[in-house]
Amino acid sequence: MGAPFDLSFVFSFLPKLLTTLSTTLLIVACSLLAGVIVGFIIALPRLYKVPVLKTLAEVYISFFRGTPILIQLFLFYYGLPEVLKLVNLDMTRTPVLVFVILTYGLHTGAFMSEMIRASVTAVDKGQVEAAYATGMTSYQAFTRIVLPQALGIAIPVFSNLVIALLKDTSLAFTLGVMEMTGKAQTLGSVTQHFIETYIALALIYLVISFTIEKLLLVAERRLLRHEDQGSPVKRKFSLQKKASYRHIIADMGPGKGGGA
Amino acid sequence: MIKLERISKSFGRHQVLNNIDLKVSKGEVVVILGPSGSGKTTLLRCVNYLEKPSGGEISIGEFKLDCRHARKKDIHQLRQKTAMVFQQYNLFRHKTALENVMEGLLIVKKLPKEEARKRSIALLEKVGLGSKLDAYPSQLSGGQQQRVGIARALALEPEVILFDEPTSALDPELVGEVLAVIRKIAKEGITMIVVTHEMGFARDVANHVVFMDGGVIVEEGTPTEVFNHPREERTKQFLKRITPELNYSI
Ligand SMILES: Nc1ncnc2c1ncn2[C@@H]1O[C@H](COP(=O)(O)OP(=O)(O)OP(=O)(O)O)[C@@H](O)[C@H]1O
Ligand SMILES: [Mg+2]
Repeated sequence: MGAPFDLSFVFSFLPKLLTTLSTTLLIVACSLLAGVIVGFIIALPRLYKVPVLKTLAEVYISFFRGTPILIQLFLFYYGLPEVLKLVNLDMTRTPVLVFVILTYGLHTGAFMSEMIRASVTAVDKGQVEAAYATGMTSYQAFTRIVLPQALGIAIPVFSNLVIALLKDTSLAFTLGVMEMTGKAQTLGSVTQHFIETYIALALIYLVISFTIEKLLLVAERRLLRHEDQGSPVKRKFSLQKKASYRHIIADMGPGKGGGA
Repeated sequence: MIKLERISKSFGRHQVLNNIDLKVSKGEVVVILGPSGSGKTTLLRCVNYLEKPSGGEISIGEFKLDCRHARKKDIHQLRQKTAMVFQQYNLFRHKTALENVMEGLLIVKKLPKEEARKRSIALLEKVGLGSKLDAYPSQLSGGQQQRVGIARALALEPEVILFDEPTSALDPELVGEVLAVIRKIAKEGITMIVVTHEMGFARDVANHVVFMDGGVIVEEGTPTEVFNHPREERTKQFLKRITPELNYSI
């Protein structure tokens, strides 16, 4: 199908696709921000075992983990305006991008909450006890002692989630959003050089994923610098770190954070 | 003065502490002995509310707390009057030795940074770690970590420091350095309650020895009374088991 393969198209498509990179990154950034906030809200009742809210949080997570993202996109895009019509809210003028970010935000939030819960749980209980014994309030103990340690533990999972989100945004074109994949579709149709467009597209996703991974690896090293020293104890602790990572993954069950 | 009155604690149906009464005068070192599972750790953890007692009263100086209606504020106040040295050290893993000691001064006592720093350095020098200020716990030996733990507790200037088997996680050759530090601060008149299996240490540092078994205080008295002239059969059995070389007269 289409025109004969011509490598030069790959290079000429790259800048064209990159014009829509900002849309893709916008979706990723906004969804990520929403996801972290939602993730915390969903994780808290599970961490503190609040009766009814905990069950609601579990249902929420099951829904977003157990249904395809494509269906979630459609449900929010077509379903939400119908629901809101019932309370006299007109959403016909709302930009598609809002629905897209909303869906990805809520979707990522479910995975984020699992990541947060698992990494907070992975921090040694003795740390909180020491904080309390020192006279800290539970808020101080959480923000000063638990959170900084949980962050370091969470980063490998977070890294996987960001990359998964980046790749998932490629489905936004199904709602007509002109992000990178949408642009690639158009370019392909116009020039009939589909393969070249998709090669160029893949290259761009690959470079971004790789960059995100490396950046977060640097962040992880920094956050875990207290465990990662060039002494004989090093091996022991890196083993321990791996063990705690495995523990989180096991705790999170199958999903994006654990995959890859 | 610290006073525990009728402290009880159950885990579900299992009653671990049964109406414990204990008085500790200012500057006194109280050592708690007892077989495994007798409730020593639980008692210590009740004193700073890491474990919520099922009943009883805790007083420290003028401050009094009824365990049946303790509010968050009371618990917070109680914890500010106490400090704890843990068996597993529990140093804040993401903070250096210096930061571990400073943390409570900055966050709980709200001291200015320079002041907190100066005091913390002095304390770390006192426990012999003046050269390890910037080391993370993972870079310190067990004995060094525990000495940081002691400095961290001292920094808070609590009314009492609670020690739960401070040396039992240490390699034998590191026990001495930690005991030496505890001895030193005991001499300075810091009030302490110490759970330990180090009998020699208990003998020469304690002002008062308490023997617990099955969630009650079986016997208490001066070290000479408890070690050399135990009255209760259970105490004799325990001492015989733990220090076979000890020759007490009956
Ligand atoms: N969180 C808990 N839940 C249930 N039971 C507990 C809990 N903590 C302690 N116990 C039980 O309470 C009893 C007393 O335990 P505790 O740790 O106070 O003993 P101990 O005197 O410190 O013993 P050891 O010398 O071994 O440290 C034990 O029977 C223990 O199994
Ligand atoms: Mg114990």
